[in-house]
Amino acid sequence: MEQRLASTSRMTVNERKFVETALASDLRVDGRRPFDYRRLTIKFGRSVPVYGFTASATEDGSSEVQLGQTHVIGFVTSQLVQPYRDRPNEGTLSIFTEFSPMADPSFEAGRPGESAIELGRVVDRGLRESKAVDMESLCVVAGKSVWSIRVDLHILDNGGNLIDAANIAALAALLTFRRPECSLGGENGQDIIVHDPEVMEPLTLIIHHLPIAVTFAFFSEGNIMVIDPTHKEEVVMGGRMTATVNSNGDVCAVQKAGGEGVTPNMIMQCLRIASVKAADITSKIKNAVETYNTERTLRKVKRHSSTVTHQVSVPDVITKDKQAENIIRHQEEMIHHEPDRISNCDDEMTVDTRTCIKTEGNSRDSCTDPFVGGPSNWDPYLNKLSSNLVGKSQDLLGPLTIGKEQQEESKSNKMAVENSPEYATISSNSETLGVSGPRQQTDVAKSLKDAVKSKARKKSKASATTR
Amino acid sequence: MGAMTVDRADGRSANQLRPLACSRNILHRAHGSARWSQGDTIVLAAVYGPKAGTKKGENPEKASIEVIWKPKTGQIGKLEKEYEMILKRTLQSICLMTIHPNTTTSIIVQVFGDDGALLPCAINASCAALVDAGIPLRHLAVAICCGLTEGGSVILDPTKAEEQKIQAFAYLAFPNSPLSVLPSVPSAEDDGPIENGIITSVTHGVMPVVDYFNCLERGRAACAKISEFHRRSLESQVPGDLTKAT
Repeated sequence: MEQRLASTSRMTVNERKFVETALASDLRVDGRRPFDYRRLTIKFGRSVPVYGFTASATEDGSSEVQLGQTHVIGFVTSQLVQPYRDRPNEGTLSIFTEFSPMADPSFEAGRPGESAIELGRVVDRGLRESKAVDMESLCVVAGKSVWSIRVDLHILDNGGNLIDAANIAALAALLTFRRPECSLGGENGQDIIVHDPEVMEPLTLIIHHLPIAVTFAFFSEGNIMVIDPTHKEEVVMGGRMTATVNSNGDVCAVQKAGGEGVTPNMIMQCLRIASVKAADITSKIKNAVETYNTERTLRKVKRHSSTVTHQVSVPDVITKDKQAENIIRHQEEMIHHEPDRISNCDDEMTVDTRTCIKTEGNSRDSCTDPFVGGPSNWDPYLNKLSSNLVGKSQDLLGPLTIGKEQQEESKSNKMAVENSPEYATISSNSETLGVSGPRQQTDVAKSLKDAVKSKARKKSKASATTR
Repeated sequence: MGAMTVDRADGRSANQLRPLACSRNILHRAHGSARWSQGDTIVLAAVYGPKAGTKKGENPEKASIEVIWKPKTGQIGKLEKEYEMILKRTLQSICLMTIHPNTTTSIIVQVFGDDGALLPCAINASCAALVDAGIPLRHLAVAICCGLTEGGSVILDPTKAEEQKIQAFAYLAFPNSPLSVLPSVPSAEDDGPIENGIITSVTHGVMPVVDYFNCLERGRAACAKISEFHRRSLESQVPGDLTKAT
């Protein structure tokens, strides 16, 4: 039965010929030039609220990468273990790759196939053997206890060039991962106390450099070479080579496992191109990580009041016997997925939720400078992030202190406050605004807390973006 | 049963659900995909099918469903296998198994975040993904988690912290209420099994029988709301790419 199931992924002769002939005239099926990468978007996980210290307390160390149609997510977790005997003062790093059957009908669940193992090995070699991640800083007690870092990569959608995407996901997750602070204590000073991330700020990993994998595909006996092959090009290609280089120009690893023979000149050209592309991708990753870290710091600063509820869910249920104040309000965010969005919106959104609500609870530290403005021309990404977030919290207080002059205006202000402009365009869909309109009006009569409830809508908007 | 105000950590009342969000058609290779989130519990479900052939132990005269559950980190263990089995049985009861005999429909569930009520979230995501793939269904399965606190009051959609604290909770899946095209025709046969039917019930912990029935009532009412949300989200989406099976 397996053969019959896998037959869905074979290409027809016509499609093959089409791809090959197009490449002969320097055209690629998706319109790219031979040395162009597809659009890359890197998203990070949001912080989950911590009501008690659990192992997965925060979403630090989770990344979601989309390279064109290829979709990969990475999770990093850490654990205290005994070190290897021959390396008593070094931590360990292990990479687990899952080719999920949802990525491709030919991927089987269970034992990883050869390409899954090859991918895991290439990413592993790039990170571990090039000493990109500092292992000695992971040591707690030499010979007894070290941190073991585990990177889980899940391939969700196979659009071609899984190695590059998985590598970027692993790097992004490692860069944003934080391990808990631990110290020695106890009676004889030998016990290890792991500090709760709420109590002591967790630490980042020390990463010396970023090894970026760049994959090349060869066609027609090694004469044609393209970068970042799509799934269709991968089926047709004669050979493939992955070069892992970093932005300093060091070659960390090269993987060319069989396939067509290629002249040494071609290989040198590939390496040169790879170092250019690596610099480009490194800067993209670093920008994304920096934005995430900035938001994270700001989030930490505002999160002081634990008495104010951080989020109030909106939909209520009327049961047959209960009539009390249960009002049905629904979140109906029909949001379509758009793969080519840059997405720190997700974090931006939840940052807004928490900061706004917290400052509400804290009440009047920040001066309330009433902000009256439309949502359409307000773009936090153009200005500095911090000032905007403070501005946003003021905005929340603003309309409430002024009082509601007009329902429409306050409603649009609220929407402006809670949404970054990309979402302002979504919210301008008549459906969501229309439905939220009457809800907003019923909210007005209630207390501040009920007004806060509408902010929780952002949480569901944060889950996806428009297609 | 008195209307007690329960103190929940995130400020919800006993009857409030977390914000729901559903987005479909996310993946390009999968025939159908949907991402369902309830608060911070986020699940992505993908559907491939129907594919030719059935597995060894399955009846070739009917279609078969295969569920693969992927946890966020870690190895696949017994809990994942249990979820796979429950999800498979739930979906088998809503799919029309006799339309495409000797085929396999695969549903792959990937957990993005687990903050309580994971199995209901997965059931909802799988149903949305099946609709996105165009698999013919009898009706949807709408799932919810109901928890029972010590005072005997029922809370809906508990978070993970709440699940660990409370004495018992139940994952319940009910059929979606049918929306008839002819509004005035009462469908007598639907009254019995659909109006009062439960597709799936998985309980954890000890609860008295009376409280279990309370949970069922509350859960059914909540599911009516969730199924409205589900229906709206399915209706408002523009029909997507029809050429998925390549």
